Amino acid sequence: MVKLIGAVLILFSASMVGWQIGRYYACRPQQLRSLLVALQMLETEIVYGMTPLHRAFIKVGNRVSEEVGRVFLQAAELLVTEKAHSAEDSLRQAMSRHWPQTALRKQEGDVLASLGQVLGSSDREDQQKHLRLAVTHLRGLEEEARVDQAKYEKMYKSLGFLGGLLVVILMF
Amino acid sequence: MREILAILPAAVRSILAALPSAVREHLEEIRLRQNQPLEIRYGQQSGYVTPSGQLTSSARQGWLFTEENAVKLLALVSQHSLYALEEELKRGYITVVGGHRIGIAGKVVLDRGEVKGIRDVTSFNIRIAREKKGVAARVMPSLFEAGQPLNTLVISPPQCGKTTLLRDMARTISYGSEWCSSRKVGIVDERSELAGCLQGVPQRDVGPRTDVLDACPKAAGMMMLIRSMSPDVLIVDEVGRPEDGEAVWEAIHAGVAVICSAHGADVSEVALRPTLGKLIQHGAFSRYIVLSRAKGVGTVQAIYDRQLKMVEKEKVAWSS
Repeated sequence: MVKLIGAVLILFSASMVGWQIGRYYACRPQQLRSLLVALQMLETEIVYGMTPLHRAFIKVGNRVSEEVGRVFLQAAELLVTEKAHSAEDSLRQAMSRHWPQTALRKQEGDVLASLGQVLGSSDREDQQKHLRLAVTHLRGLEEEARVDQAKYEKMYKSLGFLGGLLVVILMF
Repeated sequence: MREILAILPAAVRSILAALPSAVREHLEEIRLRQNQPLEIRYGQQSGYVTPSGQLTSSARQGWLFTEENAVKLLALVSQHSLYALEEELKRGYITVVGGHRIGIAGKVVLDRGEVKGIRDVTSFNIRIAREKKGVAARVMPSLFEAGQPLNTLVISPPQCGKTTLLRDMARTISYGSEWCSSRKVGIVDERSELAGCLQGVPQRDVGPRTDVLDACPKAAGMMMLIRSMSPDVLIVDEVGRPEDGEAVWEAIHAGVAVICSAHGADVSEVALRPTLGKLIQHGAFSRYIVLSRAKGVGTVQAIYDRQLKMVEKEKVAWSS
């Protein structure tokens, strides 16, 4: 009886692990999409709205998905309270706090961080160029993420279950 | 003053906070140049400031304004959004919360021979705007005839309190006073100095019946206000270009009283300028107020009527 309960537990937890890893592959393209949308909104705010950076961050942060939006909201707060001495610094600090909770990787973080270096420090034309560059870069990564999703999402989900099953079979 | 401190880098902030309070209260300008000592102007004097907040006349003892501070100051002034200041960088000054103005100089970027903006900003001149309520009280009685406001030109050399007087006139007319009932006032504030607007909201008290067109070219703005807001009195700062003259002329004949200002030492000097000369010749203005610094900022040198006869010769100083 105990063995049976143990087997069920193993099967359950192994599938959960697989499911989690699979979910990570499913979330990544979604969050990348959010980040892309955020940057495009930022472009509108900067190029057409001429909104000061901290307010643009708040606007964007409130409109995209929560995981990605948090980074922008935090950056805006850091700017307003002067805890960050530049736009770059505010994004870096915000990312170091909230990036680990997203499904995004270091590559995307680097794109955002390098964008932060120029954000707000040049005229509109230049800002637009840099924002567009970052968007193109992220599009490439999004493409990759989608391919990965197709490849690995299902695989990890079944792998988890099957791995659990293997252990159970070996147990008996 | 608090608004100014808020946009300064921490290092500059702490030095200014250490200044003697008598100096701090009369601060007029803070001049910051890259790799040069911090200079301030207060009252009629100027001096360098040492790292401990003491005044000195020796440039070597002054606190050095480094490149790092210059970059930081620009970031703070622009709220980390240089792109939002394109127009300001083209004009060479930035208006901040409270209506204070920061003049800038540095490397100018050209685009087909025209100034596109300033890069590498290295010189800052922070001019502290002072709000003095009640300064218009001494000139108000002469500005009305049968209860109607008259077209008025305020003539003054730079830094004699011209803008302060205009602002107080706007406020007095808008609130109403013993000389006139309250009127609708329209302000075209091309340089954001009169009302000191931030995101369209006047930072200074310009009265409850006042509409402000912020950062709008004067000529176009005057016409817009007349059409859209039907003001009784139109107030504009620093009229000088030909199109401004035309707009003033038009406004006057649209039944709106115009109160405007011009740089100059006297009516005769201003009359030599092409645009204003024509207006004066045609009797566009019924009152001329001449300001000077003879007895401190805001001395009313004289008030003339349409025929350039002195209405009142009275020296009024509003600051000692």
